Amino acid sequence: MNLLVLMIALPLLAAFLLSIIDRASSFAARVIGPLVLLATAAIGLSVWSQLGDAPQAVQWGGFQAPLGITLYADQFGLLFALAMTIGTLLLWPRSTGNQLRSSSLALLLAGTGSGLALSGDLFNIYVFYELMTVVSYGLIASRGTSGSFASTLRYLVISGFGAALALAGIALVYQATGTLNLAQLAQVAPEKLNNLQGFAAFVLMLVGFGVKAELFPVNMWVPEVYATASSRVSALLAGVVSKLALLIIMRLLILVFHQPEALTVLLVLGILGVATGELAAWRARDLNRMLAFSSIGQLGVMFIALSIPGNAGIFAALAVAVHHLFLKPAMFLLAARWGGSIRRLCGAAKTSPVAAGLFVLLSLSLIGVPPLPGFWAKLLVIMPLLTLDQPLYYFAVFIILAAASLEANYLFRVVMKLYDKQPTAVPHKAHATADLATAVFLGGGLIAAVFMLVPLADRLDSIAAQATDVSTYIQTVAPQSLEGDVQ
Amino acid sequence: MSMEFLDGNTILYSAAFGLMLIGIGGIVISNHLMRIIFGIALLEAGANLLLLLSTYHEGASAPIIVDGIIPAMMADPVPQALVLTAIVIGVGILALALSLAIRVQRAYGTLDMREVRLRLEQEICDEAGIEMPSSSEKPAEVIKTPVNSVVQQESGS
Repeated sequence: MNLLVLMIALPLLAAFLLSIIDRASSFAARVIGPLVLLATAAIGLSVWSQLGDAPQAVQWGGFQAPLGITLYADQFGLLFALAMTIGTLLLWPRSTGNQLRSSSLALLLAGTGSGLALSGDLFNIYVFYELMTVVSYGLIASRGTSGSFASTLRYLVISGFGAALALAGIALVYQATGTLNLAQLAQVAPEKLNNLQGFAAFVLMLVGFGVKAELFPVNMWVPEVYATASSRVSALLAGVVSKLALLIIMRLLILVFHQPEALTVLLVLGILGVATGELAAWRARDLNRMLAFSSIGQLGVMFIALSIPGNAGIFAALAVAVHHLFLKPAMFLLAARWGGSIRRLCGAAKTSPVAAGLFVLLSLSLIGVPPLPGFWAKLLVIMPLLTLDQPLYYFAVFIILAAASLEANYLFRVVMKLYDKQPTAVPHKAHATADLATAVFLGGGLIAAVFMLVPLADRLDSIAAQATDVSTYIQTVAPQSLEGDVQ
Repeated sequence: MSMEFLDGNTILYSAAFGLMLIGIGGIVISNHLMRIIFGIALLEAGANLLLLLSTYHEGASAPIIVDGIIPAMMADPVPQALVLTAIVIGVGILALALSLAIRVQRAYGTLDMREVRLRLEQEICDEAGIEMPSSSEKPAEVIKTPVNSVVQQESGS
């Protein structure tokens, strides 16, 4: 079971050894990063296959659960850890400047991301979250333009604000319960956190961790960063890193915070996120920022999904998250050559027909046109919302549907330009082979999902069921403390 | 018990929340980059203090057992470890923020956040090849028009 530890340790170790290896052989330094991630992904897959229905917990440092460092692997956490590893591998940054530095940062991102997904206590979640944030600063700024420095700085200000709020939330939780271990928190939360202090802690941590998840009031950094970072970094941040922050919020919601007010906060912020994101995307005149704003809208849908009580909400949010995980990176990779004004895209389909076709496919799935996975994901959100029979939930359905029509409007505007008869004066450069191949691979994943819809939905449902199984979580991490505490 | 605990620490708690409020105020209100960065530092200090206070007992000794004697009241080491980590991370981020501020100052020649934001917007628009959207913070064109409209109004009346 120490394999699980390797998923975090291996990329971190490689990241720090990379510059030493580079002294000996620059070729080795270039290939070793992807190889390590490949090995990590293989380890993750082997753990996944061993896992089955029983989640596993590892205690680090020789102490038992409430004291030791807990790693918790269920299919839910492992899915996101794998997404982080494989996502970084697919979107391996190609820096024009210092490739060694970018490679180290990418490895650090993969390691800290896996750590975040597998952590079983708030202490480590905070540390890994902060590390991941610092690594993303480096990746964004690695482009080296003055714009990327300025956007990193603005991102840093918002992130620093969020991190301090999250820390204050952790302090409130610790003050009420005296523990940071999620399993132990899950045991005492109904008794000790079901009050105003617990709610305040939830809001602080939601806003704090929500910075990375592009939550409504703290997402000002999104358009600037995605417009100034290199497209592979934008794809990583929008596609994968934002989902890891979402995972933390989901875990907290399942295990620790059960107040109905918490769900209302999520619903309201989600609605505001969808409305503002999609309207801003509709107004955007350049592709990068359009995709950035649309990503805010999509994450808003996930927050609305999380506001549905019980298993159905987690299932729906998971489905939308996995869909977005495939779709947004592919779109950002296509924007690598097509970034900039949409007006300049006239006739781009002629020079790169594959990319244009792929863009149409991705757009249709993002809007939610029936056979594609995007439709089913949105349906999973809307159906339970309708059964809840409350005005605000009905309003959320209206917003999601209105957002879909806005999405259709602005995405088809791009598609119309792509297939415009009159080409622009400046012919478009074709996509880099690696970018296009990765985008086609991700798009292929979406098409494959159409044919495997039922098994895929069953699998996601079982992952969500495992994630929401609080008593299994407690028993897996700390069987003895469960017996001791329950009289 | 809980009331006594609160009473003894009221000043410390208000210091923690006060520091956080000052920090948030600094980030939200000021436009100068240095003040914003100091605001983050103050906010972090407040959060750290709050974390330390979460299990603070006056007169508690370090949780170390010497010669088999267990102290009557021991300080909880978990918040201290977490705060130590948070301080280290905070200092690192502060250094990064300052170095980025130097880069931004060299590129844009200003540390005013409104100016930086405008220049950033301009740079993104230039790179994308689109016109800068008319901004409420940029009154340059608006000043010219009233002169004409006043003239027209006068001639109209």
